[in-house]
Parts: sequence; C-alpha cells; structure tokens
Amino acid sequence: MKKASELNFGEKGIINEIDFTHPSSRRIVEVGFTPGQEIVLINKSIFNDPLAFAVRGTLIAIRKNEAECIKVA
Amino acid sequence: MITDSIISVPLITLVGPPNAGKTTLFNLLSGKNHKTVNYPGATVEYAISKIHAKYNLKAEILDSPGIISLIPSSPDERVAIEALFSHPEIGMPDLIVATVDSTQLSRHLLLVEQLLQAGFNVIVALTMTDMLHKRGMDISAALLEEELNCPVAKINGRTGSGSRELIALIERRLNSHQGVPAPLSFEKSMQIDMLINSYRDIERIEKKVLYELPVKPDSFNLTEANKKLVLLNQPKSSIDNLRLDRTTVQIDNILLHKVWGFLFFFLIMSLTFTSIFWFAEPLMNLVDKGFSELADFAQSFLGHNVIGDLISSGIISGTGSVMVFLPQIIILFLILGLLEDTGYLARGAMLVDRPLSKIGLNGRSFVPMLSGFACAIPAILAARTIPNKKERLLTVFIIPLMSCSARLPVYTLLIAFLILPGKLWLGGILLAAIYIFSIFSSIITASLINKLKNRIITEEDNSSFILELPSYRMPKLSIVLYNTYSSAKVYLKRAGPVILFFSLSIWFLTYFPNYNPVVESEGLSQNQIVQLQNAERLAGSYAADLGKFIQPVMTPIGMDWRVGVSLIAAFAAREVFVSSLALIFKVTSDDEKLQESILAAMRTATIEDTGKKLFTTSTIIGLIVFFVFALQCLSTIAVSRKETGGWRIPVLQLVIFTSAAYIFTFITVNGLRFLGLD
Repeated sequence: MKKASELNFGEKGIINEIDFTHPSSRRIVEVGFTPGQEIVLINKSIFNDPLAFAVRGTLIAIRKNEAECIKVA
Repeated sequence: MITDSIISVPLITLVGPPNAGKTTLFNLLSGKNHKTVNYPGATVEYAISKIHAKYNLKAEILDSPGIISLIPSSPDERVAIEALFSHPEIGMPDLIVATVDSTQLSRHLLLVEQLLQAGFNVIVALTMTDMLHKRGMDISAALLEEELNCPVAKINGRTGSGSRELIALIERRLNSHQGVPAPLSFEKSMQIDMLINSYRDIERIEKKVLYELPVKPDSFNLTEANKKLVLLNQPKSSIDNLRLDRTTVQIDNILLHKVWGFLFFFLIMSLTFTSIFWFAEPLMNLVDKGFSELADFAQSFLGHNVIGDLISSGIISGTGSVMVFLPQIIILFLILGLLEDTGYLARGAMLVDRPLSKIGLNGRSFVPMLSGFACAIPAILAARTIPNKKERLLTVFIIPLMSCSARLPVYTLLIAFLILPGKLWLGGILLAAIYIFSIFSSIITASLINKLKNRIITEEDNSSFILELPSYRMPKLSIVLYNTYSSAKVYLKRAGPVILFFSLSIWFLTYFPNYNPVVESEGLSQNQIVQLQNAERLAGSYAADLGKFIQPVMTPIGMDWRVGVSLIAAFAAREVFVSSLALIFKVTSDDEKLQESILAAMRTATIEDTGKKLFTTSTIIGLIVFFVFALQCLSTIAVSRKETGGWRIPVLQLVIFTSAAYIFTFITVNGLRFLGLD
C-alpha cells in the first residue's frame, strides 16, 4: 500500500486507512482525511515539503511526515 | 467592560471553522456599537454587539475564534473551547449559530455534529451558497434540517439575504430550547473512531442534501449554447471532480510553483516592507512633530519649572514615544490583513515551513516573525496561533531580534554619522544590510537555541503543520480594518502604559536631584540659559551617577558613561536613545535640525579621560551591532512574561540578548580597531 506522501504531482488516491499511532492523526482526520475519501496531490512546497492535497473540495497543506500516516490505494 | 445589563439579555455566540464566513455574518447581524471581549486562547479581541435594531430582537451576539473541532489539539485551543462552554466574563451562550460554508459542507458539518452532541442549542447558518451555485450545485436547507434535527438558514453575506429568516429562527429557538451543554468527553482511543463515524454520517447527509442544478437555458446565443454543450460533453477532468475552485488552482500553479513560488514570495514580502516604510514615514514624522509642538506649547504655557518640565518633557514626550510607532503598526497589520484575507498568507506559511522547521520553528511562525518588524508586542501575541508549545516559545524567544520600528530612528542617526553627505543612497543600502543582518542573526540564534532546546525551552510537543489553503478571493476591507484596529489597540493597551511609565521614570532619573541648577547666564539668551540648565541638570542627575557607575563596562567597548546613560534610557523604548544623546551632549538647536546638531556634537565629542574621539567608525558600527541584539524594551519583557507564563523565558531573553549585544559590540569595536579602522 502506498503512503499519501508517495503520490506524484496530480496523482489521485483513495484513502484506505490512517495510522492512528501518529501524533497528528486525529487532526488529520478532523480536517477531512478519512478512509474512502479521494485525495489528489495538488502542490508541493520547495524541498517537497509540506504537500498540498485536495480533499473534500478544499486544499489542505500537511507536512510530508504527516502525509506518511495516510495510506492510499 | 461588560456590564450587568448586557448579561440579562440572551447571548448568541457565532461558532465556526476558520474561513466559514463567521465575521461576515457577524457584521450582517450586529448593530453599530461593538464592544470587544478578550476571548481566552485567541490573539485578537472578539467583538460583541447588540443585534441590529432593524431586526427588533433583544439579544447580544458574540464573534468567536475559528475552531475545527471541539476536541482541542493544543493548550490554547483547549482554553478557547472551554470558553465556549463558559466564558469567564459573559458565561454560557443561550444559543449558538454555527456557520457552515456550503462548498465545504462535509468538513464544516463535523463541528455542527459535535456542538449538537455536546447539547448546545444550535442553529446552522449556511454561507457561500452563491459559490455553490457557481459550481452548478445547490443545497436543500429543509432536508439538512431534518437530518440534523436543528434549524438551518441560508445566508448570503454579500447581499444580506436570509438574515431576517435567520433572526426569526433565532427568536423561536431562544424561547424553546432547554438543557445545559457539557464538554465532549471521549477516551483518547475512542476519539478517532468517533470522528470517522461522524464523517460517515455526514457523508450520508451530504449525498441527501446536495444536488446538481439543472443547466439553465438562460442563453439564446447559439455559439454560447454550443460552447456549453461542448463543455458538458467533455469528460470531467479530475480537478472538476474534486470540487476545487478552478481559479485558485490556476493561481497556485504560479504562486506555489517550485521556482516561481519562492520568487513571488520574496517579491511580495519586499513589496510589503518597502510600502510599510514608504507609507509610514510621513505619518511618523507628523506624529513626532505634533507631539513636540504640543510639548513646546505646554512648556511655554507652564514655564520652565518642575511642573512645566514634567508635563512637557515627561508626560507629553512620553506619550509621543508611544504614539510614534502607531502608523507602522497600523500599516503592517493592514497589509498583513489584506494578504491573509486574499488567502496568500497560508501559502507563505506553507512555503517557509520546511526551512523554518529545520531551526525548530514552524510555518506558522512566519506571520509573528513578520509582525516583529513593526513591533515585538503584537508579534508575540500573534505567536498564539502556533499549536506546538515548543515552537511557539522559540518563536516568542527570537521575535525581539526582528528589527522593530523603534530601532529605525537609532539606525538612521548612526548611519547618517557613517556616510558622507551627498551619498544618501549608501544609507539605504546600509539600512537594508542591517535588516538582513538581523534576519540572519535571528536564524542563527533560533538554531542555536534549538540545539540547546532541552536547556532553554524545556517543553516537548508534537511538531505539526496542518493548514487549510483557502480559495483566493478579494479581501473584505471592513474585516481587515477591524482586525487592524484591534491589533493597534492591543499595542496601545499593553505597551503604552509600560513605555509611558519608564519614560517618566527616566525623566525623573535625568531631572533629579539637581533639578534647579545655577548657571552662568551673562550674555546668554533665555533659550540658551534653559538649554544650559537642562545640560547641567543632567550632568548632576541620578542618571549621570548611574552612568558613571557603569563606566567600567562601557570602556572596553570604546564608549563612555554618556553613551551608557543613553543606552539605559533606551530601555523605555529604543528610539529614546536619540533624544537622550541630544540631551546629554548639550545639543542646543531647533527640532528641525536636531539630527544635524546631534551629529555635529557627536563628531566633536571626546572621551573625558583620554581626550580621544568618542564616536568613530568603529564605535558607531559597534553601536549598530548592539542595537541589533540587545533586548532594550521593557514592554517586550512584560508581554513575553505574560505569554510564556513565567519569568524564565523573558529573563533568559534579556540576559542572552543583552550580553550577546555586549560581547558582539566588544568584538566589533576592537576587531575593527585591530584591522586599522578606527
């Protein structure tokens, strides 16, 4: 299974699960990253971190290490 | 102040996630007379107001900070959420109007579900339905009402339509609901499951209430209609499926571009700074001139005696030294507010998150640090938005190194000493160099402290950067102006009394005990006698005693007690250094030519014991270095104590920055002399 941090520019993924052991996982779920949601990597900041994902009709920037706790299929 | 009469009418609190149109709705419903309430955990004060008279409803409405969820992620969020249940000043709301951006329905309904679970009396206000229409969708308020089991109203913030319906719902609901809300309590392990379940439920509701608008046959233009047909028949691109704002994605392709993104970032930031100085300078001069004229007027009215001097040199000049920074602070917050409201600041924070995280800071440290270039006080308050405590403390720690506007008059004077007349352009370059130097030194300091983090900042916390990048839009001037006003007021309230108090103390120290000196007055004009008296008074004052006491500290950095006294006086506010130098070097001149007169006095000043020149290229550069590092601002120390919750951080700041200033000045002065540059 792929991590959201491994998506390419413009690549789509469906969230399969969230790694609950990550300390940011709750906030990540709260802002809308839940299993079953379609996400697309829209932008990367310089040094490829943070990453901006399209989720639930908006753009959310999260750090690469935080995107690692989102598993996509 | 919130009076009892206000508490007796029902309280309606507006609650919603950031960017959900909360403040717009507040402006729509509120009357003219806003009061402000300190909302615990939030940076700015929030407005409270009676409902506008045209709605004929006796109730108070309160704006509140944007929250994503009722489960807090940081200590400040905890305080803000607890205040929602019971505000320390105004108690519990009788009703909550929850704003929901209809284009963000699923994300924003999460908070609504939590508010309902907690037992609040809730009405949902659907905002930005016009944006939803633009995307070819609409929402059924009736179905949503049925699903949530709470009243729902559609509001158009731009036109104000729907506000009467909302008021009618509020009126009905205020009379019906009973029960006391209680904070949500879930086991930590349960929280995420609960959230995912809520979202599942919300997704089901979303499917039910959102529907696609039928394509309107509004255009009789055949080519237009054909175009539309072509567009409709095209397979939808993945971007369309994501319901993102197209324009936003296109702008972001440039502003968040790997190469151009940073270029634009630097361009926007340089423009911001240039315009701050460009706009603020004439205003600052105006304030300065106004207060010095007022002081002169008071002096001529009251005469040259203790009372006259206290009022003109003490109180009026002290107030002037508070007010002179107001233009820069207002302009900086105006520009920052505009940038924030367009949606760009969130992008800026994203762009610098990675480099800042390398030195223990956060992308969210960016706005507070930027504000530090105007004044450290509102900047330290702005650091509250950083959820991670360690990063917040580190941000607060380095903010005093940002070159604040109080340093500007000092640098202007010192640079003027260094450059020859006619080479003014060199001054601009030198000033820019000082700013860049101060940025670099703050970066180095932050990384050093980050290395020593366990000794200086002991808190550990999960470092995180999760930030919504809102759709680009035209900024709403009324909201920006209101926030600017709020920040300026915070500065006046927090820094004003401290600066004024210390200005007065320093006036006292420089005035007594020799307050009525006898001078040789033969052949001198009245004006000259007064100025001679001022100088004599200072030479015999407590401040001079103090200065002579610290003389041994000043000698190694090539300076004498007179500079020492001015440096101590600068603790009231850094720019007092200039007026104190003028006083101490017995500069006798009109205000118009003050700078030239101080410069002339500085060029001839010698160290008393040795007869060597006091101000040389090396000591002037040394002084600049001193001002870059030294924490010479008692208001900053006071605010830092309040915001970090103790004396530890402010004392460390004071000791570390001021001793660093001394050491670096020592190295600079003696190093330059060693290299043969006196």
